[in-house]
Amino acid sequence: MLHDLFNWLQTVPGAVDGDPSTSWSGQLGASLHFWSLMEATHVITLMLFAGTILVVDLRMLGVAFRSTPYSALNNRVLPMTIIGFVVLVLTGLLLFAADPLKYYHSVWFRLKMIFLLAAAINIFWFHFRTQKNVTAWDAMESPPAPVKIAAAVSITSWILVILFGRLIAFTWFDCGSTKPGSFAYGFAECEAAMRESIAAEKAAEEEAAKAAAEETPAAEETPAPEESPTPSPSPSKKGD
Amino acid sequence: MNFHSIFPDLGPWVKSLGSAFPASAIKAAPWVFPVIETAHLLGLATLGGCVIILNLRFMGAGLTNERTALIERNLRPWLWGAIGVLIVTGLLMSTVVAQRLYVRPAFLIKMLSLVSALILSLGVSGSLARNEGALTRPAKIMAGIALAIWLLAITLFATSDGPAPGTLHLVCAGWLIAMAFGSRWTRILLGVCTVAMIVAAAVLTYFVYNPFEHYDLVNEIDRWLLRISALVVVGFLGWEVVGPKPAPRLTPTMTRLVGVFTILVWVTVAASGRWIGLGGGAS
Repeated sequence: MLHDLFNWLQTVPGAVDGDPSTSWSGQLGASLHFWSLMEATHVITLMLFAGTILVVDLRMLGVAFRSTPYSALNNRVLPMTIIGFVVLVLTGLLLFAADPLKYYHSVWFRLKMIFLLAAAINIFWFHFRTQKNVTAWDAMESPPAPVKIAAAVSITSWILVILFGRLIAFTWFDCGSTKPGSFAYGFAECEAAMRESIAAEKAAEEEAAKAAAEETPAAEETPAPEESPTPSPSPSKKGD
Repeated sequence: MNFHSIFPDLGPWVKSLGSAFPASAIKAAPWVFPVIETAHLLGLATLGGCVIILNLRFMGAGLTNERTALIERNLRPWLWGAIGVLIVTGLLMSTVVAQRLYVRPAFLIKMLSLVSALILSLGVSGSLARNEGALTRPAKIMAGIALAIWLLAITLFATSDGPAPGTLHLVCAGWLIAMAFGSRWTRILLGVCTVAMIVAAAVLTYFVYNPFEHYDLVNEIDRWLLRISALVVVGFLGWEVVGPKPAPRLTPTMTRLVGVFTILVWVTVAASGRWIGLGGGAS
C-alpha cells in the first residue's frame, strides 16, 4: 500500500539508529534553507510554465496572436514550457519527499493530482487527436471548437492545480481535524494516516500509566516533541 | 533595512490596517485569504508568460519569426491585466499581514524591485517594441533609473540575513537564460562550472562539514558559493549579451541587455516576495 511505502520513505532511508527524524526525508524537511529554496523555486517557476501555457491556450482560443499560425507560436514557446515543467516536477518531487505522508493524506494534494491528471489526459488527447489535422486550422484566426475546448480544459485544469496546490498549506481538512466518516476523512484515507498516531498515543498513555504505577519521579524525562516542518505561509522558524 | 527603519513613525497606522476594512472583511472567513493568494499566483503566472516571451524576443530568442511590435501588442492586455490583478490582490493581502511586512527586509526589497520592474515593463518594453528594438533617449533614461533601483534592491537582498538565500533564484534564472539561449561553448563551460559548484557544495557542506555540527561555517561556505556562482553566471550572461559573436545579431546589444534585465527584475520581485514568508529575519 502507498501509505506504507511513504511511511517507510519518511522514516527509514538514511535514518541513524532508527531515529525517524534523521532520515533523508526528515533532513530535507528540517534543512536550513534547502526546503525553502525548493518551495520558492516551485512557485516562481509558475511564471515560466503556466504563463507560457496560457499564451498558447489563448492563441488556441483565438484571443491572442490571431495573425500568428498556431504551430509557429507553439514550436517556439513549447520548449520554454517543457523547461518549466521539468523544474516543477523536480522541485515538486523533492518537496513531496520531505514530508510524503502529509501530502499523501492531504485532501488538497489529492485534488491537485486529479486535475494534474486531467491536464495530462487533455494534452495527450489534443496531441494525438485534435492536432492531427493541424494544417486545416493552423492559420485560422479563430480555430474550430475542439481546439478551443482543449484550450479551455487546459486553462481550467491548471488554474485548479494552482489553487489546490496553494491550499495544501491550509490545515482545515487535515486528518487530525476531520471526523471519521466524513467525506474528507475517507477521501484522504485518514484511517491509515491516523493508525500510527493513535498507536503512538496509546503507547505514550501506557508508558504514562506505567510510570504512574511505579511512582518514580525520575521517569518524567519526557523528550520534547520533534518539530515537523510545515510549509505554511507563516514566518518560518528557520533563520528567525 | 526595512520599512520600519525608514519610516519608524508609521507603526500605529500599519497596526490599524489589520483591524480596518478590507483586512477585517478578509479575516472574516478563513477561505478568503487563500483565494486571494491563488489569484495573486495566477497573476504571477500570466505576467511571467508575457514578460518571458516578450523579453526573450528582445534578446533575439523564442518567437523570432514575429516582429516585436506584434508580440508586444498581443501580450499587452494580458501583461497589464496581470499587473493590475497582482497589485490589487497584493494590496489586499498586505493589509492583513501589514505588521509583518513593515519589519521584513524582503518586503522592502520586493517594493523596490517592483518599481524597477514597472518602469521596465510599462515604460521601456513598449517603446522598444514600437521602435523595433531601438532604445530611444527617454527609454534609456528609464532603463537607467530602473537599473539603479534594482541594484539597490539586490544589494539589500544579498545582505539581509533572512531573505539572502533567495538570491539563488536570481542566479538560477540567469543560469537558465544562459543555458537555454547561449552559444554551444557557453553551455559546455557553464555546465562544467555548474557541476563543479554542486559537487563542491555537496562535499563541503554535507560530507566534510555539516550544518548540525558546523552551523556558522556551513552558512559562510553557502554564502561564498552563492557569490561565486552569481559572478560565474553574470560573466557568461554578459558575454552572451555583449561579447563578439559570429552569428548575425537579430537585435542590438542594448535591446538584448534590457531583455535579460527585465526578466531578472521580475524574478527578483517574485523571489523576494516569496522570501517574505520564508527565511524570516528581523531587519
